[in-house]
Parts: sequence; structure tokens; C-alpha cells
Amino acid sequence: MARVKLSGAEIVVEELKDEGVEVAFGIPGGVLLDLYDALYKEDAIRHILMRHEQCAAHAADGYARVSGRTGVCIATSGPGATNLVTGLANANMDSAPVVALTGQVVTSAIGTNAFQEASTFTITMPVTKHNFLVKRTEDLPKVIHNAFYIASTGRKGVVLIDLPKDVLADVAKVNLHTKETFAGYKPNIKPNIVQTKKTAEVLANAERPLILAGGGIISSDATEELRSLAELLGACVVTTLMGKGAIPENHPLCLGMAGMHGHLCANRAINECDALLALGTRFSDRLTAWQLDQFAPDATVIHVDIDAAEINKNLPVDIPIVGDVKLALADILKWLAKQKKMGDKSVWLQRVKEMHTTCEDCIKDVRRAGTSLSDMFIKELSLLLDGDAIVTTEVGQCQMFAAHYYMTKEPRTFISSGGLGTMGFGFPAAIGAKVAVPDKKVVDIAGDGSFLMTCQDLATCVENDIPVVVCILNNRYLGMVRQWQELFYDKKYSHTGLGATPDFVKLAEAFGCYGERVEKPEDLKDVLNSAFESGKPAVIDMIVGSDDKILPMIPPGGGIIGMIGTERCKHV
Amino acid sequence: MQTRIISLLVEDHPGVLTRMSGMFTMRGINITSLTVSPCEKNGLSRMTVAIKGTESELEKVRKQISNLIEVVKVVDLKADEAIIRDLCLLKVHTKDSGMRLEVMLLVESYGAKIMDATLDSVIIELTEEPKKIDRFVDLMQHFGVKQLFRTGLTAIGRD
Repeated sequence: MARVKLSGAEIVVEELKDEGVEVAFGIPGGVLLDLYDALYKEDAIRHILMRHEQCAAHAADGYARVSGRTGVCIATSGPGATNLVTGLANANMDSAPVVALTGQVVTSAIGTNAFQEASTFTITMPVTKHNFLVKRTEDLPKVIHNAFYIASTGRKGVVLIDLPKDVLADVAKVNLHTKETFAGYKPNIKPNIVQTKKTAEVLANAERPLILAGGGIISSDATEELRSLAELLGACVVTTLMGKGAIPENHPLCLGMAGMHGHLCANRAINECDALLALGTRFSDRLTAWQLDQFAPDATVIHVDIDAAEINKNLPVDIPIVGDVKLALADILKWLAKQKKMGDKSVWLQRVKEMHTTCEDCIKDVRRAGTSLSDMFIKELSLLLDGDAIVTTEVGQCQMFAAHYYMTKEPRTFISSGGLGTMGFGFPAAIGAKVAVPDKKVVDIAGDGSFLMTCQDLATCVENDIPVVVCILNNRYLGMVRQWQELFYDKKYSHTGLGATPDFVKLAEAFGCYGERVEKPEDLKDVLNSAFESGKPAVIDMIVGSDDKILPMIPPGGGIIGMIGTERCKHV
Repeated sequence: MQTRIISLLVEDHPGVLTRMSGMFTMRGINITSLTVSPCEKNGLSRMTVAIKGTESELEKVRKQISNLIEVVKVVDLKADEAIIRDLCLLKVHTKDSGMRLEVMLLVESYGAKIMDATLDSVIIELTEEPKKIDRFVDLMQHFGVKQLFRTGLTAIGRD
């Protein structure tokens, strides 16, 4: 590319287009005037004006998780950037590829406590995969290319670029679209061949193989390979929260999500297996629980992850494999085809089949005895959507009801804040999801507490014609904390009652959205249909019990087979 | 608990030191010593970090450091395969000529140098392995150490 003379802002826009950016979620500000001036002339990039920077980051995050492409968010200096931080931390914890552009005061004013100055570079360092403070306009092409390269390769994550006003305004002669990278960044992609061969031997000889599918399966698009391996091997598959969608949850070998709020049968299977193949997961505490001696005690544990730092971090493993899980699975499948002797898996397959059937029956049985209104609404929603939608969640009880009962059938259709656990994530993430896939139904499973944290962006939905549907499990409490207070803190409900929560129907209407209240799960069908048919952003206020609990669960300090509240799950 | 010395080649960018030290803080690891200096390659700096922790903690943090974009190379330096040096400057109290003589004898036997002297104090420089410096400083405490400066260790691997 020949040398061209452009302003910093024009360089940014040219480079964004070269990286394939079609949409950005942001809010302008004083130091970003030049950048927004360049965007004004630009048709190739759709800019969606958000109502809060946190939502801009969550929307970029949701967009990235659903589309598999890098999401972009923009915020101004100072408060714009600090508002962005929660969203960046959230995306980075869940390894979602996001590039954030922030404005900064002019370079000569940095460090003077200038108006709207914050040290974005140092503030965001611990919550990003990498970040840049650009001091010279001519550095922009290399920085922007590398921001996208770093965010979208290896273990994906967030890269922030801090852009001082003068760097954007100054004109420089540059070579656009450089492919120059940094010497210190070489993501490990190719798995070790000796290790994948050993893995195939262990899996072939195992009698009770189990595959634990994490978010890595989805981010590396390895769902086909996962399914082939499970079927070839006769291994059962359990997932993490981030792994929901790695395999259709109605697949006979799938036992659903494991962990603290997982399915009892999934947790039992982890305890009983003799070979555990963990794929693209970091063994978070919400998965393994705290008694590690109950976690696959009899199994040879194989761990595949693209991030070497995750190996042996939370769980000691027998066979570590560093690399792209898609390539590792292809290698394991290749070696497995050459295995002559296979262990007898018939007893295990029978057990898995029984567990799968009883678990699926329970999920489909909406009015099962002892079922709470919250259970029923989510079960009903799951049946109505039938996997043909993108579901995002807020955080807390609503998230775990969704994770437990919503049957996910496709990858990239269940979007949740797994690592950071950010209340207020689901709704803006739904905005990003709907922008990425406008033809698909997008539903945010929310709680009344969470939704109030980011609901101002209903205005964004209305203004930009983004008809997402928010289904609120309205229990008038910060439900998950209340549940813990009820179970473990002598029912002292300290500051979890939300008291006079707003009328969510009127709130929706005030924004120009569709709003409706439902008190009986059997009425949800009609209301949901009306919401979709309205073509508007919608809020469905589902009234549930304040003392509804998401059970079973592993109590604090417990182990994977120490679930409480299992009365309804006697079958396993 | 053990000490590990890690030698890093890093990009000479502003903020690299913050990123590095932030990584240790985030992972709850204490840095015993840290030196940064130019190296034989343009645009790169060398950092020598001494950290204390259990074997598994140190292994974890080493992997996290390798993940940093600006870290080009990470080398573990084992004590018996590396030359390790620390530079120490100390001002020792010498209230009479007898003390001064005694100090001078010890300075000589440790291969240290006297850089400056007044009637009641001397400034000594010693470049040595950290443990030997520890021993020397302990000896000097006997006379009274007024001020102590150490650069932190630097190390180079043997071929």
C-alpha cells in the first residue's frame, strides 16, 4: 500500500474497515470529535449510539460471541472510559474478542488532571489481554492491526487502544494496512502430536469416558469435531456454562451443564468417569466446586487449552495439551481411527442413556410436582423457543434457571456472563446479538434486579430498531443472594429486598417498547408471540415467587457430588 | 518457598514495567528483586526478576508472564547454571581508627572496595552473589551500617 497522508481519525476508520469492522457500539465525547467526524462520512461502518458505555462494551461482547467476529466499542476519555471497564473485564474473563477505542486528552495534557482525564491505560491493564496508549499518529496502522490480531487469536480477549485527541487530529504520512506484528506474540495453535496420540489411547481403552466441553469449543468452532468424537467413542458430554451449545442438549450423549448449579446427573458422571477429556475450559471454581477429591477421582484427566497458563492452574492433570481445541480434536480423531482395541463402554452408555432420558423428561415436564414459578416460566420458554433463538442472560438466579432449564441446541445461541458474573450484562449483550443476527429471535432472560442496572438502553433499541425481548423473572429480590441468605444465613434477608420495584410494563411503554405482564406460565405463549409480532423491543414481566430457589446446588465448600435440594432428582 | 530468577527480554515500551509488576500483584506473588536495563538488541530491554513462592505458584506465574504480549523471551535461570550478581553500596560507621582498620581488613577479604572515607564513616562497594553480600552486610552491622543500597540482582546464563 502506497503512503497516504491522513489524519489520525481517518487512519483509524480506514484500518477498522480493513479489519472488516461493520458495526461499532459507542458514545462520542469531547476528545473524540475528530474520530466521530471521520465516522460521519463513513457508510461502511454502522455506529450504534448507546446510552451508557458499559452497555457499549457488553453489546460489542454479545456481538462478538454470537458472530464469532471481533466486537468494537468506543468511549470518550475519563468517565466514558471508566464506565467501559466493567464491560471490558466481563468480555476478557469470558475470552470474547473485543477491541475498545477510548479517547484521551491531548498528549501534552496527560498527567495534569485535565478535564475528563483518567489514566485509562493503567486502569484497563489488568482487565484486558493487551492495551495501547498511542503517542504518535504514524503508529496507528500497526497498533490497530495488532489490536485485532491479538484480540481474535490465541485465547481471545479484549484489546484497548487509548487515543489522545491530538493523535486523532494530527495528519501523518503512513503506509496503511501493515501486517507487521509483535515479536512477543505467537499464540500456540498446534497441539503436541505425542500427547494427542496418548489421549486417543486413553480414551479408547476407557470404559467410562466423559468429555467436558467448555467455551473454547464454541470460540474455536469445534462443535462438529466434538460431536464426532463423542459419537465415535461413546463418551458422554457435559458442558460448562460457557460451553452450553457446544453440543445440542437434547443429544442422547449430552447430560447438560455441570457444576455448582448444574444437572445432578452431569456432576455424578464427572465423579464416576474413568477418563475425562476437558476441552477449552479453565476448571473454574463454579464448575469443580471446592472438594477437588470428588472431581473425577478415578479418571485420567486430559486437558486441552489454547492458553498454557490454564494447564495445572486449577486442577492437576495427567495429559496436558496446549493448542487450538479444533486441531487437537482432529488429531485425536485421527489417532482414534487407528486404535484396534476399544474398552467395553456398554454399561456406561446404558447409564448415560438413562440419566439423559430422566433429566430431559424433567426439563420438559413444566408442571412437575414441587416446581416453582421460576422453574415453570423458564421451562415453558425453553419449549416455546425450541432452541431456535439466541438467549442471553443476566446474572444470578435468572441466569442459573436459564442455564439449568433452557435447552440449547446450537453453538453461539446461549450468551452469559460466566467469569465476571456481571448483572446488567444480558440486555446490552442481547442488543449486540440482535445486531449480529437480525433475523434471529433474541431473548434476554433477566431478573428484576439485573435489568434495572442497564435498562436505559431500551432507548437504543427503539432508536435503532433492535427488537430484543427481555423476559424478567420478577421476584422483587436480589434472588441469588436471598437464596443464600435463606439457606446459609438463617433467613436474615439483609438488603436483598428491592421493595417498590417499578412497573416494568409502564417502563417499557415509556420507552416506546412493547410491555406485558404474565402471572401464569401457561399464558407466556401468547404474550411471547405478541411481543415478537409487535416488531418492537419488548419487556415481559413474569411474576414469580420471592422464595423460588434454583436447586439443586452445591453448597459453599462442597464437592461435585455434594449437591443439596436433590429431592426432585431421585432417579439418579 | 523458594526463590526463582527469571530473565526476560521485553519490548522497550512505556508501561511494560507496570504491566509486569501488575501481573505479579494480580497473582499474589512477591517480587524479591527486579532490575531493568538495556540489552544487546535495539528496542528490547532485559528484566531480571527474583520471585519467592512455592514451586507451583512460580510455575503458574512464569506461564502468565510468557502470555504478556510485550515479553519476547522468558528464561529460567538456575543458580548453578548462571552467574548472578548484586551490587551493594553501604556506609559503615567507624568511630575510631581501630574500627576503620578492622573494616578495611574485611573489605579486602571480601573483594570489596572503599569508595570514600571520612573520619567517622566509610562508603564500601561490593559486587557479588547476593548471599555473599548478605554475609558481608551482616558483618558490617557489627560496626553499624548507616545506609545500605542494593541494586537488586542481575544474572546471565552460562553456555
